Amino acid sequence: MASRWWRWRRGCSWKPAARSPGPGSPGRAGPLGPSAAAEVRAQVHRRKGLDLSQIPYINLVKHLTSACPNVCRISRFHHTTPDSKTHSGEKYTDPFKLGWRDLKGLYEDIRKELLISTSELKEMSEYYFDGKGKAFRPIIVALMARACNIHHNNSRHVQASQRAIALIAEMIHTASLVHDDVIDDASSRRGKHTVNKIWGEKKAVLAGDLILSAASIALARIGNTTVISILTQVIEDLVRGEFLQLGSKENENERFAHYLEKTFKKTASLIANSCKAVSVLGCPDPVVHEIAYQYGKNVGIAFQLIDDVLDFTSCSDQMGKPTSADLKLGLATGPVLFACQQFPEMNAMIMRRFSLPGDVDRARQYVLQSDGVQQTTYLAQQYCHEAIREISKLRPSPERDALIQLSEIVLTRDK
Amino acid sequence: MNFRQLLLHLPRYLGASGSPRRLWWSPSLDTISSVGSWRGRSSKSPAHWNQVVSEAEKIVGYPTSFMSLRCLLSDELSNIAMQVRKLVGTQHPLLTTARGLVHDSWNSLQLRGLVVLLISKAAGPSSVNTSCQNYDMVSGIYSCQRSLAEITELIHIALLVHRGIVNLNELQSSDGPLKDMQFGNKIAILSGDFLLANACNGLALLQNTKVVELLASALMDLVQGVYHENSTSKESYITDDIGISTWKEQTFLSHGALLAKSCQAAMELAKHDAEVQNMAFQYGKHMAMSHKINSDVQPFIKEKTSDSMTFNLNSAPVVLHQEFLGRDLWIKQIGEAQEKGRLDYAKLRERIKAGKGVTSAIDLCRYHGNKALEALESFPPSEARSALENIVFAVTRFS
Repeated sequence: MASRWWRWRRGCSWKPAARSPGPGSPGRAGPLGPSAAAEVRAQVHRRKGLDLSQIPYINLVKHLTSACPNVCRISRFHHTTPDSKTHSGEKYTDPFKLGWRDLKGLYEDIRKELLISTSELKEMSEYYFDGKGKAFRPIIVALMARACNIHHNNSRHVQASQRAIALIAEMIHTASLVHDDVIDDASSRRGKHTVNKIWGEKKAVLAGDLILSAASIALARIGNTTVISILTQVIEDLVRGEFLQLGSKENENERFAHYLEKTFKKTASLIANSCKAVSVLGCPDPVVHEIAYQYGKNVGIAFQLIDDVLDFTSCSDQMGKPTSADLKLGLATGPVLFACQQFPEMNAMIMRRFSLPGDVDRARQYVLQSDGVQQTTYLAQQYCHEAIREISKLRPSPERDALIQLSEIVLTRDK
Repeated sequence: MNFRQLLLHLPRYLGASGSPRRLWWSPSLDTISSVGSWRGRSSKSPAHWNQVVSEAEKIVGYPTSFMSLRCLLSDELSNIAMQVRKLVGTQHPLLTTARGLVHDSWNSLQLRGLVVLLISKAAGPSSVNTSCQNYDMVSGIYSCQRSLAEITELIHIALLVHRGIVNLNELQSSDGPLKDMQFGNKIAILSGDFLLANACNGLALLQNTKVVELLASALMDLVQGVYHENSTSKESYITDDIGISTWKEQTFLSHGALLAKSCQAAMELAKHDAEVQNMAFQYGKHMAMSHKINSDVQPFIKEKTSDSMTFNLNSAPVVLHQEFLGRDLWIKQIGEAQEKGRLDYAKLRERIKAGKGVTSAIDLCRYHGNKALEALESFPPSEARSALENIVFAVTRFS
């Protein structure tokens, strides 16, 4: 399953909004009223990190939906955190602009890490580091580094080692994309041909291995054994996530837990562990390390959940590739799993991985007729809410606020 | 299920051999074959090589402590073993790689890890280290050095597996259904990535950033070396237009760097100084080069070589033959050995044997062997050092 973070790069339509907290007092809870809003916050507060082991997800989501029937709409989400934009008193700013201040020359520096004498291998390895996107993962890492540094000792200085983590995160991610494209036999990415289509599968696999080895060298040169262990976990998670995708679960609850575990390993682990790594480099307090990790984990999962939603809701033109990509790969994502509750006949299709003629189209129709998209979006909102709750524990700073905004951007993007 | 049992179960999943292999990926297979089957190729007498290896094993405390490659017992690789069965009947090279690991398992797994362990023992603890860490030394080898030996093997096997990816647009219908070949690629990528992930995890556990950097750079070297093996010439010819010096650079990357840097890393783990580290590196480098040349020479010196036996057209004797003869004459000879678009390897072999390539390759093998022995002189006399010398004697022996 290819991650679709790249969608963010192309024609991103998000812009800083001029809106104020809205009518009424700054602390106003919104249409839900004080008691209902308090109930939502109380419930969210009790579920730190949305621990998988606490309650089956299907039942959890059903419970929340029935308790708060009106909170499914995305626009409502902003009212649950009215204080987020005014808390630090800082001027509202574009989190991408803020993050890029520490990331200038990122792609040039990555290319310097790919020290290869063979021109073709170098060209292949550099191919996806074209600097045309907004680099969602490095942005989060750079903002987290500053947020943790300020929290620790009000330091405005970003360490070279912290910036190196952003570079390494991008390299590990790209290496996995190169291999994912061969595994999925993908033809295009970011609106251009994939490495495997241009140079063939044999060489593409070596390009991915080469990027990984270069990232490992850069990681070793940071010289911190704790950070090496943290990021090595990402590499392991990426592979295990791919293995999880090979298998299927028959039990409904197991299936959902399986999906979320795969989502964590394939998408969220890199963000969570990179955030943890920069916090380790910037601050000795393990409480802060956990905050950074939890923020990254929750934002990362939400990111992927919305990615899976967009597979059903975005039109082909916006995506730059055909919709229903995951169904065609035989994968049941969040919207499908939710839809299956309303249309049990989807069970058989899920088990045969949508392999019969017409399965993909029929499954897509079932999803669109169901509230699967709505439920998945709601779940993503819960994860973002948890991410904001975690990051709010840090001392106020423009970067902390930017991270809060980023978690909202994750929810409202359209590609 | 221990490692040996796991390997013994694999043949059931692999089934019978398919039809003869196609040339379009045979360079990789030749390399895999030459890498994997050191036993039969290292000397005229297999018994001699087996004896050298067997005695070396006793010195380092084989096999109980080494044959534990823990990640191979995981659910993931059990899953892969099941999946590989689906490839039976196709020409996917992953089948050949898997069979190679089974049949040549002792040679595939033994030599690199074994050399790392031997050089660890030969070097012993450094003066810096004598006062501490002795508690985890078994048979004169630190546990972290044993872990390093495993990591070296994991990286080696991972790239063996990644060598076996096929280009989908070069497939022929007789190779097997496209869907199955695609699936073979998927499994080959995943299993190689799995082994690399475990190697990375093992490196992190060593808690030594210099060693992590060394092994990561060895992986980068290895990838570049394998890339060169895979590169089809831009000309229409089937051999590269390179001299022996370029061949040596590329072969160091694909066959020497991992062992050389692993030997150096073993010294770093025991806190030896730069001089000792360099000598360990040199031994690893030259021994690996010597061994590679030995295996390249085998098709030209065995008396009962089958006429249908193919050989790597970019191996040391062939490259040297071309260098002596000149590119144009070599291309002409290849043309003369082609009948109806099919290469007559027997005829080509005779042409090469008539030239100076083979004897020069043997000389080069001995040159590298001697350089390896020189490096060993920096280590105090011991049975481990003798075992390392015996390995060199075995790979430079052609009688």
